[in-house]
Amino acid sequence: MRKKPRFHSLKKLRVRQDWSRWSLYSISQLKTQNVATRTYFQQKWTAKSMTRAYHGEQIREKKWKRQFKRNLPAVVPMDHKYLARFDGSEQAAGRGAGVDVQSQQSRPFMTPYMQMTYYPIERRLDTAIFRALFASSVRQARQFCVHGLVKVNGKKMPFPGYMLNPGDLFQVEPSSVMFATGAPKSRSSTARKVAKEKASARAEEREKAPKLPPSTGPESLTTREEPTPTELKKHMQALIENVEDVLNEDVGAKDKQKFRALRQQIKKSVGLWKTASPESVSTLDKQFEFLRSAVDAKNDPAPSPRDASEGTSMISVEDQQKLKRAFEKLKLETEHTSAWNKRNAAAPYATPWRPRDYMTAFAFIPRYLEVNQNICAAVYLRHPVARPGLAEVPTPFHVETGQLAFNWYLRRR
Amino acid sequence: MPPRLRTSNFPSAVTCPSIRPTSVSQPAQKAREFSQSSCRQVTLRRRNFYAWLNGPGRALKQPIPNSTNYLGAYDKYGNLVRASPGWQVRQKEAQKNATSDVGSEATGTDGDAAPVVGQEADEPDMAARRLEEEAQAAGKKDEDDRLPPETTEDLRPFPLNRFFRSQAVLSEELREAIYQYMVDPVESRSVPGTSSYFGVSNERVGAVLRLKQMEKEWIAQGKTLAIPYSKAVLAMLPTTPHVGDGPNKRPMIHEPINDLIVHPATRQQLFVPVAESRQFTRVDAGKAFDNDLLPADERIPHPEMVNVERDMVNGYGAEERLERAKERMMTRLTAKAEKEDAQKKAEKEALTRVPKRRWDFVVQDISVESVGRNGRDHRGVGWRYGLPHQDRKKGQVKIPTSVEA
Repeated sequence: MRKKPRFHSLKKLRVRQDWSRWSLYSISQLKTQNVATRTYFQQKWTAKSMTRAYHGEQIREKKWKRQFKRNLPAVVPMDHKYLARFDGSEQAAGRGAGVDVQSQQSRPFMTPYMQMTYYPIERRLDTAIFRALFASSVRQARQFCVHGLVKVNGKKMPFPGYMLNPGDLFQVEPSSVMFATGAPKSRSSTARKVAKEKASARAEEREKAPKLPPSTGPESLTTREEPTPTELKKHMQALIENVEDVLNEDVGAKDKQKFRALRQQIKKSVGLWKTASPESVSTLDKQFEFLRSAVDAKNDPAPSPRDASEGTSMISVEDQQKLKRAFEKLKLETEHTSAWNKRNAAAPYATPWRPRDYMTAFAFIPRYLEVNQNICAAVYLRHPVARPGLAEVPTPFHVETGQLAFNWYLRRR
Repeated sequence: MPPRLRTSNFPSAVTCPSIRPTSVSQPAQKAREFSQSSCRQVTLRRRNFYAWLNGPGRALKQPIPNSTNYLGAYDKYGNLVRASPGWQVRQKEAQKNATSDVGSEATGTDGDAAPVVGQEADEPDMAARRLEEEAQAAGKKDEDDRLPPETTEDLRPFPLNRFFRSQAVLSEELREAIYQYMVDPVESRSVPGTSSYFGVSNERVGAVLRLKQMEKEWIAQGKTLAIPYSKAVLAMLPTTPHVGDGPNKRPMIHEPINDLIVHPATRQQLFVPVAESRQFTRVDAGKAFDNDLLPADERIPHPEMVNVERDMVNGYGAEERLERAKERMMTRLTAKAEKEDAQKKAEKEALTRVPKRRWDFVVQDISVESVGRNGRDHRGVGWRYGLPHQDRKKGQVKIPTSVEA
């Protein structure tokens, strides 16, 4: 038997519906067809084979041919103000009497019907799951369906070919979504070795790092002696290291901003280490401690605000309240985040969860879907449509390629 | 029989180096001798692939914080087009700094700080001013570091397809706001009203409501939400932010809400001779295409917006307009209810009920003709003699066509 061709081949670049680097490379290498030297049939054939490798390659050609429709849906956005002010007769008024259109009005954009050839495929359940960013490829979405992880309107739907109707709500098991979209767990021997090395390096750092802050920090707080400037500087450097440790761990974007602001502040004070007073350092320390506790300790959230109110008694009441409010908000967020995003060896994805590589380049949600990522559910609002200047079927190909493919399926060859 | 000597086990001195192919500089793989596939040749294609991945494609591997990261935003050398010239270099440096030790930075700042300290003795307020200046400079630098907002060009995941771009999705706050607006206990809100207030289409309002309700249920049940996933995805996508409540604050328009569906009858080009004296309006144009085709004013999802605007043009006051809009809505609702009632009544009348002691007999009129010409029409009732069922045949689709909500 002949060997099955590679799914991702560098010899024959094909864009596939997945988030792989091969697809990304193929998208970047796509070119329009050379129309000068090839016959019309050849052009159509190539266009068809290229587009079919992306759109529903899991569907057999015969089945797709039966789904193909030559009437493509489109909409025109209307302005209600215009509709209220004019009844349409002004467009032809006086044309017979010789009135000419004075100025060429700005023409509306072209409606790209030819990019809509594959719109029936977007109705399929597996494709919709992929478009809602619940799976990293259509084949994976298909597997989710077959494995019974997908529900449509609250009922299990094991058929990936189910055609969604407008208003259908589909949901995928959140743990599977996180597995599909998260970075993979590294299991190879080399990865294990690297992880071990990193862990040992981290352990060494941990051994080194905590020595500095507890030794200098509490001293400066309790004894209230004037610490030497060099000591202060060292202390602050240790602080920065700590903050960076926190930043290297996975925390939410907003928290990261806060940490960055904090780090900026500390950096500035390190620059001016000679003018720094022990008070300012202690407040920074407290700030960080508070942040740290808010991020780390989730099981007992009550004592952390108390600590803060005790510790920040040195600063003014307003500042204290402001800080408190900011921190409370921060805490609420981080509580949520880290409660669900902690290290978990049992999870089938790399924990703490982070998006897989190259996901950003493929992350878009078309307008015919309304997605709620928190519960991994989405509603199929309507069928995809073309509108002036915009086609809702995501396709990586040029309009001409789309047109050639459409012409292929018109069966006039 | 002595064991055969394998060629790969010979010392290299035995095999002549000139005979060996020079392109494949691969150590002998003892573990995989059974493999028929060629060993990992670094072909030109593979080299190009990795060159692209490590060069222009490198920026796409990880998300940019607080920004989208699509292929269309980069030129072919992998430079972010909308960023200021030194942005990427600075990003790389920042990354490097974050990983490298802090000591080197501190020494750098030491040198900067030294003259400041020298002048500090004679002018005490000078230090404070310098501090401020430095802060300003830092702020300016931050502005440089910040990316400008994306243009439509930057939102293209597929550079070759000019007619597709990643469109904004509702932000988390906006979804919550829509939900809160709809479930307001004080005032009951209609879907079209919410839709026109937030600039979000009718269907989307309904979907947001449904999904939010589901989310709240999940939270109440203590189910695990996919919050890290949600945060990461919403940070990667362009989002429509929620503009907070307040005077002179209107929600940002998310999408065009008055989309007119292109009717198949209007796809053809018509030449209709019309007298010059005649007012040929949209209603007439609709009739010219198809006798049942309504004008655009009535086919758009929000005809009430047109009516309100018309009242405004005709010079009604704000109160009168509100009154008239309410009146129109009431008449529409009553008409709809009447129609539904009539339909139900007609359905009921089609059935003949014969009351009995325990159960009623319900008799429905059936036409024999409904089986159609070939007797295979799905409207035909009952099992027809001699007509086999097709559902066990190969290729018969048994996937449900709809699921009840």
